Amino acid sequence: MLARVANNLFWMGRYIERSEHIARYLNVNYFSSLDAPNGLSQSRQFVLHSFLFMIGEPENDPEKVLDEESVLFNIGLDPDTYYSIINNVKAARENANGARDLISTELYEAINKFYHFVLNYSPDYFVKQGLYDYTMNVMERTAILRGKIRGTLLHDEVYSIIMLGVNMERATQIIRIINSKYHDAILAQDNYSDKMSTSFEWSTLLKCAESYDMMRRFYRKTPDIICTLEFLVLNDNCPRSVMNSLNQVSKHLHTLDLDKNPKKNSTAFLAGKLRSEIEFMNVEDIEKDVKQFIQRILEQLYQISKRMEEEFFKY
Amino acid sequence: MYTEYAITYCAQNEYESLVKGAFWQFSIVPEENGTQELLEWKITSNLPCTQNESVNGLGFRTVHAQTKEKFTQANFKASFLVLKKSSNPFDFIPNPNPKMDYDAVESLTFKTEHETYLRKTRYTHLPNDFNTIFSFDRKKSIFENLLDLNHWVFVHLFFKVGVTQVDTPLREIIEKRHGVCQDFTHLFLAIARENHIAVRYVSGYLHQGNGYFGDSQMHAWAEAYVPRAGWIGFDPTNDILVADNHIKVCHGLDYSDCSPLKGVIYSEGGNTTSHSIEVKASQQ
Amino acid sequence: MKAKPKNSLFSSYPQKPELFDEVFEEGGNIKPIYEKLLYLYGEHSIKDYVNLNNKAKSSFFNQGITFQVYDEEKTQEKIFPFDLFPRIIDPREWDIIESGAIQRSRALNLFLQDIYHDKKIIKDKIVPLELLASSANYLHQMMDVDPPGGIYNHISGTDVIKHADGNYYVLEDNIRCPSGVSYVICNRTALKRALFGVFNHYNTYTVTDYAENLLQILESVKPHGVDNPNCVVITPGMFNSAYYEHSYLAKAMGVELVEGRDLFVENNFVYMKTINGPEKVDVIYRRIDDAFLDPLEFRPDSTLGVPGLFAAYRKGNVCLANAPGTGVADDKAVYTYMPEIIKYYLDENPILNNVHTYHCSRPDELKYVLEHVDELVVKPVDEAGGYGISIGNKLSKSEIKQVQEQIKKEPRKYVAQPILSLSVHPTYIDEKESFEQRHIDLRTFTLLGKDSEFVLRGGLTRVALQEGNLVVNSSQGGGSRDTWVLKKDD
Repeated sequence: MLARVANNLFWMGRYIERSEHIARYLNVNYFSSLDAPNGLSQSRQFVLHSFLFMIGEPENDPEKVLDEESVLFNIGLDPDTYYSIINNVKAARENANGARDLISTELYEAINKFYHFVLNYSPDYFVKQGLYDYTMNVMERTAILRGKIRGTLLHDEVYSIIMLGVNMERATQIIRIINSKYHDAILAQDNYSDKMSTSFEWSTLLKCAESYDMMRRFYRKTPDIICTLEFLVLNDNCPRSVMNSLNQVSKHLHTLDLDKNPKKNSTAFLAGKLRSEIEFMNVEDIEKDVKQFIQRILEQLYQISKRMEEEFFKY
Repeated sequence: MYTEYAITYCAQNEYESLVKGAFWQFSIVPEENGTQELLEWKITSNLPCTQNESVNGLGFRTVHAQTKEKFTQANFKASFLVLKKSSNPFDFIPNPNPKMDYDAVESLTFKTEHETYLRKTRYTHLPNDFNTIFSFDRKKSIFENLLDLNHWVFVHLFFKVGVTQVDTPLREIIEKRHGVCQDFTHLFLAIARENHIAVRYVSGYLHQGNGYFGDSQMHAWAEAYVPRAGWIGFDPTNDILVADNHIKVCHGLDYSDCSPLKGVIYSEGGNTTSHSIEVKASQQ
Repeated sequence: MKAKPKNSLFSSYPQKPELFDEVFEEGGNIKPIYEKLLYLYGEHSIKDYVNLNNKAKSSFFNQGITFQVYDEEKTQEKIFPFDLFPRIIDPREWDIIESGAIQRSRALNLFLQDIYHDKKIIKDKIVPLELLASSANYLHQMMDVDPPGGIYNHISGTDVIKHADGNYYVLEDNIRCPSGVSYVICNRTALKRALFGVFNHYNTYTVTDYAENLLQILESVKPHGVDNPNCVVITPGMFNSAYYEHSYLAKAMGVELVEGRDLFVENNFVYMKTINGPEKVDVIYRRIDDAFLDPLEFRPDSTLGVPGLFAAYRKGNVCLANAPGTGVADDKAVYTYMPEIIKYYLDENPILNNVHTYHCSRPDELKYVLEHVDELVVKPVDEAGGYGISIGNKLSKSEIKQVQEQIKKEPRKYVAQPILSLSVHPTYIDEKESFEQRHIDLRTFTLLGKDSEFVLRGGLTRVALQEGNLVVNSSQGGGSRDTWVLKKDD
């Protein structure tokens, strides 16, 4: 496979996954805030600030009053913001175009329909009453794409590279969402003495990762910080966990690099190292310094992705 | 009689911004033909690069050099040792009746076979209002006319470095009456082709030992197809016929076929290139 | 004589008696070959038909089989106009088209071989030297180069029309990078999805075998010493208007679709950059123009090509399809000599008719053209895509004057032909919500390999959507329709 095309496939996977997480973050936070148990979590401003924090453009002045419609437009449909959902979908389609001869007609058609859906979505309707409809559609369409990727492609290098993109992005987004909700939980604790360990924000966090129901089933209790982090970071059976994503990354890297003993500092080596590190981590250690943990993991994910580019995608 | 030439070619390229990889093609290796033997040669560079021999569009030997290094300066130095056999361009029996020569070059077969070198190119298209600037004298042979043309170009243009560029239009050269060997040659080619003579652009080295015009750069001259004699070299820059002092590298329709150095550079911004050439002779 | 059957689709079909209609006889009777089809379509109302047509169109749109239209505000994606009513070609007529197209491709290949070597055809005074001397598409770098397998025009697109006299005429041969084949396959797919039932009643040749034949042809011209050639398709990139076609062909052949930046040349061999390192490339189906192939040899500002590619080609280490320099033979001036060219190389009479052509470079013919501009189609010799064509009977007096002046300025630049009456086909017109007669042509696709040849049994029927318009090119707003070549009854 061409290195350039592999790069396209990898980023197609990443952008699809990214648009899903952003959409869900908007959806879950906005709608759970409506009947949140404490005043801050219920505050619209709190939610809007949280949106900006999550997509990586935090508003430094926490007192600044944000305009709901413009924040929603910025993140949902603004063609001029690099982080908007519409631009993520555009980028996914552009990358699919670059690899069009390698992916199935069915997958391409689904991406293309997705693209036309966001392109034709009325911004006015979206900011006034379309938030639920639009974000649900984005989530559903990404689920369709995931199905087409799994169901219509040969499970060979092409599939592995897309899945590498999907899982690298998933691990990254889960960490970013944890970061964002952890930040919110601290704010809620400071302002409303919403107790950190049992903050309302942990439920929201789990829902943002589509893992709330599974977590309830697994622990049979109300989410607290320990079990939430444990579930989203360490539980290898949770399909959204960092651990699970890294397991997938290692598995798919193996398809590309058949070396049983990966060379030092190869992508497989770096990914395997992070994977083992997390495998033998316990949640109490994470909880001691969540911020530091988040920074470290993000940095290591970045290094893996960078190494991957040098190793496979250079053209 | 043989002369041994030691030729040194240097090219220094400086780039404004960092270059991330490059591919160069050199057309600087002396041709091996009846009067030239290439004894030894090598090309070196300040950069680690892979080198291999290749051909240009007309089949002449080139050297490809490429690198994936990052750099802002790329220097190349090439040296060639050539054994040149002396020859006499007048050594053929002219046709007693010049008309037969004209008939020969105007025959369909001749024009068809030499179609390539009768073709007017961007650099050798004589502007319409200048197409009688030099006319052939039908009473004289083609060879004599070409000698006259060689002299005419030599007299019409003044050798001056730095006033023309590679892409200076012929009109400007004719009007301003100055230029370097490329311009002399293109004017010669344009007029000869206007008069239905098959001519080609030649790039090579000139041994300037006898006070010839040149500028320590690649030299250029013309080759014309003369019936009964074949291809004969004319050097309008020096008003001489090409013989022992010219070492040919390649020929083509015009300069664009023979550019000594072409490159594809992965970078933004401009660059400057300076060449220097030295030709030393020792009699064998 | 059968009476015109009741058919709601065609109840108000305006049939002009002077036009050759593919479906209806003069007087309105259905031609036998279309009878079953009209019967089957007759089950639908116009509303059903529009519904199905729109579904087919949206399937094109969803699959991204589109081209971009740029205007000041934003770029828009559009599909090529399409309609569900197929064109049917009689097997006996097809035989003529197929053998004629092969004959022309073979003759053009020999012509290219000759003019890039001994130029015998010129020395023998069959075609004039000026034809070559003045051609901008002639590449002197190709002189004495022997392409692998001896093939220059691996892929040819010959455009034919049916005249009012019922005979086929060739309009032009495209042997640079003829495009459109993917639409043939898409049109068929769309029609099958919408109206699968009708296929049960006709025995039609498939068009999906094009890609496998193309691959076979490409593999047959592998460089010397290569056993299992690695073929690729090279595209200018995804912003090219034919990118869908490039990706379709690569996918259907199961080969890589590369851009110039994916390839590099080392030691006169071509490699592509893969995730596992360099991989040698042997045959390149190139969909970029000559001028952009290699910045070292052609346009130095080309970023689409590969430095060193032409040297690798000259050394015989890679095959380019089509060969560089084929454009010299699809010059409209060469077209006018096709009967002579076929006769000269193959010693055969042309199977397909050429349209009689007047050369403005010849004084007596120039005189005729200038006097009859109003009755002729005047074309520039070297423009593709239907640009610069004037059709005499559509011109005002002042326009005729303009054309005359243009020709006088550069007579060599123009040829003229009698105005042909292209056949018409019932075509659904959205704005009128009914079927009307529209002019059509047919682009055929011929493949030429080492010891093998293939003509796609179908082709792209292009439709001029403006009433009375004779220019069918998609760049001029033309549409297309599925084209059925029927198998002979056993």
